[in-house]
This record gives sequence, structure tokens and C-alpha cells, in this order.
Amino acid sequence: MKTMVYRLNSGVSRLFLFALIAVMPGLVQAQSATDGQAVKALTTDASGALLVLRNSGLLAVEGQSTTEIPLPPSDSGAPPRSMAKGADESLYLAGPGLGIWRYDNASKRWQSLNDTLPDLGITAIAAHATQAETLYVYLGESGMFRSRDGGAEWVKVDSGPREPVQAFLHSDMPGSMESGWLFAGTTRGVARSMDCFCFWGDAGELRGTVTAIDYDPSAPENVYAVIEGQLHHSSDGGETWAGLKIPEPVTALTFSLKEGLVVGTEDGDLLSQNASGEWVPVHE
Amino acid sequence: MEICFRRTPLANGYLFMNKWSFPLVLLVAPAVVVAGGAPPNSGSVPAEVTEGRQIYEQYCAACHGWQGEGAADWTKPDEKGEMPPPPHDETGHTWRHSDAMLFRMIAEGWRHPFNKTDRLTMPAFKDILTDQEIQLVIEYLKTLWTEDQRRYQRSESQDVN
Repeated sequence: MKTMVYRLNSGVSRLFLFALIAVMPGLVQAQSATDGQAVKALTTDASGALLVLRNSGLLAVEGQSTTEIPLPPSDSGAPPRSMAKGADESLYLAGPGLGIWRYDNASKRWQSLNDTLPDLGITAIAAHATQAETLYVYLGESGMFRSRDGGAEWVKVDSGPREPVQAFLHSDMPGSMESGWLFAGTTRGVARSMDCFCFWGDAGELRGTVTAIDYDPSAPENVYAVIEGQLHHSSDGGETWAGLKIPEPVTALTFSLKEGLVVGTEDGDLLSQNASGEWVPVHE
Repeated sequence: MEICFRRTPLANGYLFMNKWSFPLVLLVAPAVVVAGGAPPNSGSVPAEVTEGRQIYEQYCAACHGWQGEGAADWTKPDEKGEMPPPPHDETGHTWRHSDAMLFRMIAEGWRHPFNKTDRLTMPAFKDILTDQEIQLVIEYLKTLWTEDQRRYQRSESQDVN
């Protein structure tokens, strides 16, 4: 009897050990994929995959599949902070000390676009909504620069809003004198200018430090801004704003063709709204 | 068409008839000429700029200011919820637009999209001014900018073309 119990215990132990060895890599991978790290920036790629930037790196998430994209090489080791997608689906990453880089999908390599920039102190970038070669970078006190040739040449166009810009975007919302609008998230709220840089004015009465901003390309009057983890929505181009209830503090957002509005949170989660309007996890 | 110039004490007609009048006139006259601006076709101001200025003063100055200074508080909506006329001088943003955009705005008018009213706050002049007259106004406006601003605007105009 004792022998039988001993053999049974040994067998169960071995079985348990084998099972543990089999699932361990998956557990480690799942753990490191989010690791509770805040989502720093979000966008999508040409295939509709979510591109998720965290301190641990950049991941492409599509359904159940997650692929790591190596970060740009940087002598300074500076981490990226801002991400944008061009009108031709090109991916751009930027940050203070890093400058701005473009990812080439074919070669899977990063290309530096820093040659004609006065310094690498980029804190925010935006890509023109419809002109693939037009890009914008914000260099703090050095001001706002624009390139119309995909980053080969940068020209200073403006000082930017009075308050420092944390994030900004280019929108093709109708009504501009030129080709669109710039919405900038600043330490005061949301600033808005036609993309001629004619004049930066307040977009409504929303106040606070805006850390992320995006708009719905299918309905451009809809703009979204994050202040202290709270998500705010405007349906009239920034004139008026209303808070949205999200179960976790938001740190990044983007619009996905498949998921609609997707938010990244302080805990590293990705959430989108289901048909009932509830915020549910995007599977990762 | 009347040629506009700045008023001076002499131009107002207050001329004192005494032994000092003639020397005084000799002393002051050059200053009067300079203050009054060069007459048309003087050689120092191109004729088209003078013409453009005259058209501007007749059709634009009442809203945009005689020196292109714009309305007071032009950066904020007025009591009707409309954006006031902006400056056309170096303090404004006219220099940020291409020739084609400026022409279109003058010809077709403009309404700021966030105005609370539906009317064109910048009226359309295509039935009032000829294409050439619109071009002349634009050329005059360029004289109100800095050289850097003119350079930027030239590049914008070339990029559009």
C-alpha cells in the first residue's frame, strides 16, 4: 500500500513538473509582454495591428499574435516617447535625445531623419493626415518644425502654442484655410491652429496638462484628449468637451479600423468599447 | 482717385503769414513731403504698389486698419461670436499664405469655421474687383511684412505652384 502511494505521488510529481516546463515559456512571455508597464504611445500599422509602445519596447499586436519591433539604434540610449503614423502608413518614433526615426517595413530597419534638425530634443511629433511627405516635430523652446520631403529637410515654421506641447496631431477636419488643423496638447489644455500656423487659440475650455491626443479620422470633428488619466471627448472640433468614464487611468490612445477607439492604460492594458459601450480588454 | 497722405499742421491750412513764414516753409517742406509719402510714380514706390495701396484703402482699410494693423482684440471672438478682421502687417498671419490662397480669400470671401454666425465675415470681392486689382492689393500687402516673412511667403507660393 505504501509503495503504491509512493509511486502514485512520484508519478503525479513528474507529471506536474513536465506540465510546468511546458507552460513556463508562455507564462514568462505573457508576463513580460505587459509587465504592468504603462502604455506610452499607440498607433496602428498598415494591416490594422496595434503598435504598442511601452518602456519595455515596441510590440505589434494582432489578434492573438504579438511581434516585437526593435527600437531605433541610439548612441544616447534615449527611449522613444512619441509615435505617429504617416498618410502612407509609415511609422515614426521620436523622443528627447533620440530625434525622429522612420521604420522601413521592407527592410525592417530604422532610418534617422535628424540630419537637418537643430537638435534632438523632440518631445512630440505629428504626421500630416493626407500628405505622406509632410511631418511635424516639436522641439520645445526651439519651436515647431515641418518637413515636406519626408524628413530630409526641416524648416522652422512656428514657435508653437504659448505653453509647452506634450503631444500633438494633424487632422484633416474641414474648414481650414490650408490643408488641415493642428491640435496640440499642452500644459494648459488643447490648443488649435490651422496648419498654416496662423494662430494658436484655445480649443474650448478644457484645462490641465494634456498627455495624449487623437482624433477619429472617419469623423474628424471628434477629438479626444487625456488629462491626468481622464479621457475627454469633443464632437465639435474642440469647441466643447465632455469626460468619458474609463475604468483605468488612460495614458495613450489611437483609432483602429477594427477596434475603433483603443486606449492604453497606466497598468499596461489595452481597452476598447464593445457593442454595449463597455470598455473591455483588447486581447494581447 | 484721391491720393492719401498723412495730415500735417501745414496741410491743415494753419499758415502764419509773417516774416518767418518763408524760411519756415523752406525748413518744414522736406519733412512734409517725406511724411506725406512719395507721390505716385515717384520712382521710389512702384506704381503697382501705390495702386494696390489705393485699392486697399478704399475697400479693405475700414476693417483691416489703415496701416494693416487689424481690429483690436482680433485673436478673440467678438460679441457676435465672430473672429474680428486680423492684421495684414507683420503682426498678423497673412504672410503665411500663398498668393493663390490670398487671391481666393479676397475673391471668394471667408468665414471662420468656429464663428457663431453663418455669414462671410470676410466679404467676397470677385464682383467688385478685377483679378488684376486683387493681385495689386496682394502686392501692396507684401510691403507690410518683414523680409523674412516675404521670403517665407514666396516659398509657400512656389510650393503651391
